[in-house]
Amino acid sequence: MQRTAVVSESGLRDLLGRIIETSRVMAPVKRGKLSYDFEWISSPDDVELDYVRTVLPPKKALLPPREDLLKFEREDAGASPVIEEEPFVLFGVHSCDLTGIRELDWAMGQRHGVPDPHYLARRKAATIVGMSCSPDEYCFCTSVGSSDTKEGADLFVTAIDGGYFVEVLSEKGEELMKLAPDAREASADDEIKAKAALEARKEQITNKINAPAEKLPGLLEQNYASEIFEATAERCYSCGTCTNVCPTCFCFDVDDEVDLLLSSGTRERKYDSCQFQDFALVAGGHNFRGDRSDRVRHRWFRKFVYLAQEHGRPFCVGCGRCSKQCTAGISLVDVVNSVLAEAREEVAT
Amino acid sequence: MTQVQPRFPDQKPEELFVPEIAKITRAENLTEQDRLFEIELPGGKDLGHEAGQFVEVSIFGFGEAPISISSSPAKTGSFELCVRKLGGLTSKLHTMGAGDELGIRGPLGNGFPMADFEGADCLLVAGGIGMAPLRSVVNTILAERDKYGRMILLYGNRSPDDILFTNELDEWAKGEGNEVLVTIDRPADGWDGNVGVVTTLFNDIELDPSRRIVAAVVGPPVMYRFVYAELQALQIPDNHIYFSLERRMKCGVGKCGNCQIEGKYVCIDGPVFTGDELRSFHESI
Repeated sequence: MQRTAVVSESGLRDLLGRIIETSRVMAPVKRGKLSYDFEWISSPDDVELDYVRTVLPPKKALLPPREDLLKFEREDAGASPVIEEEPFVLFGVHSCDLTGIRELDWAMGQRHGVPDPHYLARRKAATIVGMSCSPDEYCFCTSVGSSDTKEGADLFVTAIDGGYFVEVLSEKGEELMKLAPDAREASADDEIKAKAALEARKEQITNKINAPAEKLPGLLEQNYASEIFEATAERCYSCGTCTNVCPTCFCFDVDDEVDLLLSSGTRERKYDSCQFQDFALVAGGHNFRGDRSDRVRHRWFRKFVYLAQEHGRPFCVGCGRCSKQCTAGISLVDVVNSVLAEAREEVAT
Repeated sequence: MTQVQPRFPDQKPEELFVPEIAKITRAENLTEQDRLFEIELPGGKDLGHEAGQFVEVSIFGFGEAPISISSSPAKTGSFELCVRKLGGLTSKLHTMGAGDELGIRGPLGNGFPMADFEGADCLLVAGGIGMAPLRSVVNTILAERDKYGRMILLYGNRSPDDILFTNELDEWAKGEGNEVLVTIDRPADGWDGNVGVVTTLFNDIELDPSRRIVAAVVGPPVMYRFVYAELQALQIPDNHIYFSLERRMKCGVGKCGNCQIEGKYVCIDGPVFTGDELRSFHESI
């Protein structure tokens, strides 16, 4: 039986303060009036305990937008890997984003039998504190099975009346709780409250995909040629925002950066996007996804067909970031539902 | 279906992206835009590749690019790469010669399942720089000639100046059961050989329908549809037609995603795919 506890809000901030004294902490902070971002924090008062979603997912702590893979010296032609192993705490991760981390663990850690040492070192160095969320109209976690994920978290914190219900889910979580002497043991009543809070939150979610997740690969594949992708492409700018903010996108570009004296440098990787026009361009000039509609379809198929079939789960966690932040106002859920509706009409006629 | 399993470098986990420093032992220009390099790994150890696999070639400060291996596994102690000058890295490579060092990661990808070619008549179709990886297949066959049936190489080029391995083509054609047919796209001064795209060479060969025929095709994407039609007309079963596909393989280890064909990664699941597999893709060629 896992241990549970209850802390007050001030108790939770005290705990964060003690963690900051011993380790780096990345947590959600408010940026401007409406945006939140995961950032390295120096004070527990900066942390936003009740937020909807951050601009970039907490993926950035494990797979940063830009990171060094190698350091090299051009003179002696040697290179050494850059592996980041310094422990840190990733605080305040919602269930959708915990699901994103779980899928990245597979894609970067296991897929093709190739463990990525740079991702895995950070993943191992991370202690993750999950947290209950406050959904808005963009959220659709209940359609992709990510609304209840606690897997991957070392602690999971649920806001209840008068404090936070804490589930201790691992040894690392147990270690963190040692820094929370004010925590009291949770009662059966606290547990009922926490469960009710999580259920109530799910009921607020109105944005839904009109088919069960496990049927999406088949349904979409049957509609590969759907005109909806063409119509969506007419609105899309190929800016790559959707893939940049996606918790499960992991494609990257690799580039060398050389210092001013041309004596040493780094090989870096940075987020790439299948939506960029040159993503599938080869040296001879042939572009395998030169049409924007092909790139648009690729994104939806990547989320709900290709990786979903291979992994057995949709590669979308329902966080709503791509739709909320799309420059052209394209909604991922609307596109899926339109394809499904078109398919139903075809069956009917 | 025979399928070579993906191979990964024998290296420490944290060194997934760290190239081995290798030495160029010989370099020569084959054409104006193509340069052949002989490369030796530290201690003269073998690369241990299969025909049709590739390596990531690294020059620090210039980056990394996937290059198919041009020598056959039968060649030991060193291996060869034929590099066309196309971008920053390959242009830099063209300035390098014997004694210079570069980084190598690999061998990567699946390669041609040579076991399937054993005992069969081997129809090899190359277009342009596609001859570089196919040379690995040619030399694999020639190294153990008795294991294979006829070897017919059809090789198409834009012009006589683009033909690679000119001094080797005649050698390959020698010996019983070997045929090498070369063509260029348009007539050119001083050329009295075949003229026309590579598919026109299919008129000049005669295959024995009672024999098992296996085909390997490497060339520019535009060539594949037409060659595939010819191979189908010859009734070669789809699972014995092997195409090597070109994609931008940045990491070579199934992570970066640049080489995706739908759900497949060319660097892991390919670059060699069967006709069956190609037909199952919407966007392969």
